Amino acid sequence: MKKVVVAMSGGVDSSVAALLLKERGHEVVGVTMCLGVVPAEGGRAKCCGPREIEDARRVCRTLVIRHYVMDFSADLEENVIRPFVEEYCRGRTPNPCVACNRSIKFGSFLEKALAWGFDGIATGHYAGIELENGAYRLKRPKDRRKDQTYFLHAIPKEALAKVLFPLAEYTKEEVRGFAKRAGLPVFDKPESQDICFIPAEGHGAFLRSRGAGIEPGEIADREGRVLGRHRGIACYTIGQRGGLGISSPTPLYVLKIDAARNRLVVGEKRELRSESLVADQVNWLVDALPEEAWAKIRYAHRAARCRISQNGDRLAVRFAEPQEAVSPGQSVVFYDGATVLGGGVIQEDCGGTR
Amino acid sequence: MNQIYMDYAATTPTDHRVVEAMLPCFGEVYGNPSSLHAFGQEAHGAMEEARAKIAAFLGAKPAEIVFTSGGTESDNLAVKGVVYANRKKGDHIITSAIEHHAVRETCRFLEAEGFKVTYVPVDGDGLVDPASVAEAITDKTILISIMHANNEIGTIQPIAEIGRLARERGVCFHTDAVQTFGQLPFTVDELNVDLMSASAHKLYGPKGVGLLYIRKGTRIMPFMHGGEQENGRRASTQNIPGIVGFGKAVELAKASLSEEAARLAAMRDRFIRGVFERLDGIRLNGHPTRRLPNNINLSVESVEGEGMILSLDMLGIACSTGSACSSSSLEPSHVLLAIGLPHEFSHGSLRFSLGRYTRESDIDAVLETLPQVVGRLRALSPVHAEKK
Repeated sequence: MKKVVVAMSGGVDSSVAALLLKERGHEVVGVTMCLGVVPAEGGRAKCCGPREIEDARRVCRTLVIRHYVMDFSADLEENVIRPFVEEYCRGRTPNPCVACNRSIKFGSFLEKALAWGFDGIATGHYAGIELENGAYRLKRPKDRRKDQTYFLHAIPKEALAKVLFPLAEYTKEEVRGFAKRAGLPVFDKPESQDICFIPAEGHGAFLRSRGAGIEPGEIADREGRVLGRHRGIACYTIGQRGGLGISSPTPLYVLKIDAARNRLVVGEKRELRSESLVADQVNWLVDALPEEAWAKIRYAHRAARCRISQNGDRLAVRFAEPQEAVSPGQSVVFYDGATVLGGGVIQEDCGGTR
Repeated sequence: MNQIYMDYAATTPTDHRVVEAMLPCFGEVYGNPSSLHAFGQEAHGAMEEARAKIAAFLGAKPAEIVFTSGGTESDNLAVKGVVYANRKKGDHIITSAIEHHAVRETCRFLEAEGFKVTYVPVDGDGLVDPASVAEAITDKTILISIMHANNEIGTIQPIAEIGRLARERGVCFHTDAVQTFGQLPFTVDELNVDLMSASAHKLYGPKGVGLLYIRKGTRIMPFMHGGEQENGRRASTQNIPGIVGFGKAVELAKASLSEEAARLAAMRDRFIRGVFERLDGIRLNGHPTRRLPNNINLSVESVEGEGMILSLDMLGIACSTGSACSSSSLEPSHVLLAIGLPHEFSHGSLRFSLGRYTRESDIDAVLETLPQVVGRLRALSPVHAEKK
């Protein structure tokens, strides 16, 4: 892969990705995606705001590579933000970074890069790609604490041949060290962890600004006894403890978000556990599945042993041990050792004690 | 890779003869033109020689030329200087909807200061109707500022006619001639202007120097305060190398003005014809005939301008696009919006601007490359695929 476009957010990771590729002899161009994310008055956009674009430009000047700004705001709106709002309205907890990687970064951005005349793209994700028996495989990176493969499981399999992840072999500390040594002005920039288009005021304010009906409603237990009131179901996630405003002798957790009745169902911690789940929107990055795999049901989850059976577009996943807080809308991602097998979007949990 | 520069409207390379004329002004003729000694007198002489050359080119008197740091400063001095000097007479400014930011943002600033601004619309070709300017004049109007030719779409305005109307009504008239100065033949009397802005780096002179023509008798308030340079209208030690270079650039432009304009216009027209022969879904922005001899502004249906710029740049062709990333997204320019560009064209505009070093072979190369680039990018576009 000779000519590579690096998607540059103005942060340290994508800046070092560009640095490493340049050192390895690639012909590198930086592109910042203008996503239409407006920073709060006087505030700083988490990414892709005018200041982030300027940071990316400064880094490219330092690296002596060209830099361009491309508008992806309509794309983000249609393929990420609108589905995000709709999912919340349906009482689910969507993962917009998964959608963005699938349809924008490794979708339309990659397609455009090829049309612009490049051989492929690179990003500053902590993930790896390896060629195994003639096929490209998505791999977990050296820095397991920063592993971002969870967000990458839904990218098209064919994209793997056109993508480079230069940070695969490095830790965050090493990456900052590279940036500092190369004199990149962003070497000590703080991490951005949050969703780029959500302003500082949080999900609720954002969803309300997007016209999502966020109505207060009832909080009930599994028997239907009303225990209190909630501020709007979009403000809660499954497994959430506290913030419910209910006094109870045992701690209560959100078990279920019932969008049809605008109701939260709460119960005890043990009731959060599920032995299995069903997922759809399945994407496989390998050709055949192993007997057993390890599944992550959210980014910060410790992978759990499971068996997968596929029935058409739907997957049934049965865990060896029940898992807590299976949340519809989040992704379930499967691993076999360091290899990412693929994943899907959780539709429902299937019981166990719940 | 052979590099083809087609962004002369943004800036031009400094002509080597201009550079040679400037060189003595760094180590030899380095005096301060305000100093009384021989060094100062020598620098002053060089500056006044340039001023006289430029004034003669414009049909103006040397004392009517104020050197500035560039077109933006000239526009600021003209607009702010005139309205502040005349604020007892009125508070109304007339300008067009497609002015350069240097005039547009200055007007916005003055609006916030309490002045009233009328932005007269343009037609689909980007032309201002002199009648609509005349209609907008009130007894409170103290300045009309309409650009000579638009920097994006190249449309040349009927400045002489607007100037005549302004004069009849006793209103001060400014034109931003940054795109036409040294490119079209004109004098300030032919244009009926009271003030005119120009910049050296658009005509193969150095960056950092411009001028404002101020007709004798025009009331203007300076906003650079300090010494008595430029007849008290612009304090600050003059940029002697820049001014001398500006003078040389004007001399060179004058020597070949009409032949060069004809050469560029012929290449421009061949470029436009060639693109229309090779591509469908193309629109020429700006007036078909009343346009700058070096300007080609095209909108390409269902393709993004930035993608074309990047692809062309990778292939060694430099041009520009009509949008800029604002805080929210890449917005189509106010000029393209003002001419009512249809939505499907609004994001895919490209400006090619030709110049002194453009050759016929460059036009051939772009005519060969552009359709390939557009074809590749259109293959991605769902909008275009549906139409086929």
